[in-house]
Amino acid sequence: MNSLLSVHNLSFDYGARPILDEVNFEIARGETVALMGANGAGKTTLLKIFAGLLTPSGGEVCLLGRPLAACSRRELARSIALVPQEVSISVDFTVLQFVRQGRAPYLSFLGIPQNSDRLAVWKAMDLAGVEHLAHRRFNELSGGERQRVKIALALAQEPQLLLLDEPAQHLDIGRQAEIFSVLEKLNQQGITIVAAVHDLESACRHFTQGILLCPGSPPIVGAPPEILTPAAIQAVFDLKASENGHSAFLVKQKEPA
Amino acid sequence: MGMNVTTAGELIPERVMREQRDSSLRRTLLFASGAMVLLLASVLVSAVLGAVHISPRAILAALGGNHAALSTAEQMILLQVRLPRIVTAGIIGAALSLAGVLFQGLFRNPMADPYVLGTSGGAAVGAAFGIFLFPATTLLGFSAAASFAFLGSIVTIILVYSLARTGGKTPMVPLLLAGMAVSIILGEASSVLVYLGDEVSFNARNLALWLHGTITAISWPQILLASGMLLAGGILCIPLRPVLDLFALGEEYAQQLGIRIELARAALIIVASLFTAAAVLLGGVISFVGLLVPHIIRLMVGPEHGRLLLLSAICGASYLILADTVARTVHAPSEFPVGIITAFIGAPVLIYLLRRSKREYAL
Repeated sequence: MNSLLSVHNLSFDYGARPILDEVNFEIARGETVALMGANGAGKTTLLKIFAGLLTPSGGEVCLLGRPLAACSRRELARSIALVPQEVSISVDFTVLQFVRQGRAPYLSFLGIPQNSDRLAVWKAMDLAGVEHLAHRRFNELSGGERQRVKIALALAQEPQLLLLDEPAQHLDIGRQAEIFSVLEKLNQQGITIVAAVHDLESACRHFTQGILLCPGSPPIVGAPPEILTPAAIQAVFDLKASENGHSAFLVKQKEPA
Repeated sequence: MGMNVTTAGELIPERVMREQRDSSLRRTLLFASGAMVLLLASVLVSAVLGAVHISPRAILAALGGNHAALSTAEQMILLQVRLPRIVTAGIIGAALSLAGVLFQGLFRNPMADPYVLGTSGGAAVGAAFGIFLFPATTLLGFSAAASFAFLGSIVTIILVYSLARTGGKTPMVPLLLAGMAVSIILGEASSVLVYLGDEVSFNARNLALWLHGTITAISWPQILLASGMLLAGGILCIPLRPVLDLFALGEEYAQQLGIRIELARAALIIVASLFTAAAVLLGGVISFVGLLVPHIIRLMVGPEHGRLLLLSAICGASYLILADTVARTVHAPSEFPVGIITAFIGAPVLIYLLRRSKREYAL
């Protein structure tokens, strides 16, 4: 298999609190990967390490065999885009002005955008389905619109790997479906997707791969319906087998995808 | 799927893009030429008004080549008194406005301005120290006053920055408080200099005036030095323009879009301090220009920093030329410090911004 991102013996700690301990796994090109785990298990941390925002305390992450630490910030930003969970912008950008920022890693020293940059911005807005919002103000958008606009910014980076931190959080089921259908479309265009996901049901339905972060033991990697065994869920989320949410999920999981 | 075909089957032709670029370029040029007209008008008004009224028609005729339209006395007043003063006010206005835009971008806060942050005060104290301690020393061609003003501004901004920042953010109230605290210390430090100045026959009255912001007789070498600083800073603003846009998304976002954040932060502090020092060397501590001008420009042309920087510089120059004209004409023949005029105009804007900030203000 063609590995896009490989994680070798990756460790990370916030001071005395270890988050990741010698983690190993690979992400193949073209996959959609759901990153799962309890709160504080290191999902966001892992995404930030992939995006070059955090430096691991041990081990390394390689993009197409090249360690991230050896890439410049701009190089990274042209290959990997992260859609953060929250964003607070301090100026009143329109959607177009916001999405344009995704071209920053491509601009020359003088920062003058070329036609190829404009094309990439409009293409990104079209793919994310936010073209019609171009002249609306970012701060006045609804949650679902905002999420898709952030995805558009990431697409303007023309990344090979798209990272998303809880892309469906706080969205109603209609808006969640919109986000997942956008992600599906992007995946068809060849973009590899890694998303931190809370909802195990969405993980099974929309992702080809799952990585379940387990405190104190190596992550479980595999197709989501296969790795989300009752034992694994119980261990990771500290759930009692009798609890309703848990069993409801297990029932649904058995339905054909 | 083809490169230019949208999912709806529409084309995103290059033509549309070109039109959009042209219209945006045309809009920028339109705004810039409007601002230039305003600047020229301010220069003319300022040349006409004063203790001696000089006919605008005569000035225009003289510019057209008919020097006889102006009397010798009028020519002397224009060339030796009013023109240097207009140029000085223009440089100060442009420098303070640019410093305001940079500080606002750095702090992600519309109220950051060289005066509010105390950096103007820091530059003034630095300059006073330079004059006081090393009256005849130069460093790389810069007078001690210029070098110390620059250093004073940098030290102040680092102090305020570290005092006001919590968790990657600089909330409104801590920023204002930190700026105020530092300003008070600097104010007292300059008072000490004013007292000491008396003992060593330092021109204490001039210093006191200067600390309140006033444009007096300025020599051409000083103007040249300050305009050099303005120009250098202006050139550095070109690569900083996209950086400022990215800072608006937050530091982490900027970082993952390829910005080396420490480098960018240092560059912003240095360039903004260069502007502050240039302004303070010429006119002392003039308040709120960097707050008022970028705010109005932003309302007119939006938040993207390319246009914002360009137009803030031009309009900042016009604004201070006009304010200085008011300062020297309302109570002629005596003059007000121009800082009083800008404070009366700028302080209400600060109050207005504070009120709006309660409703989650974005620039």
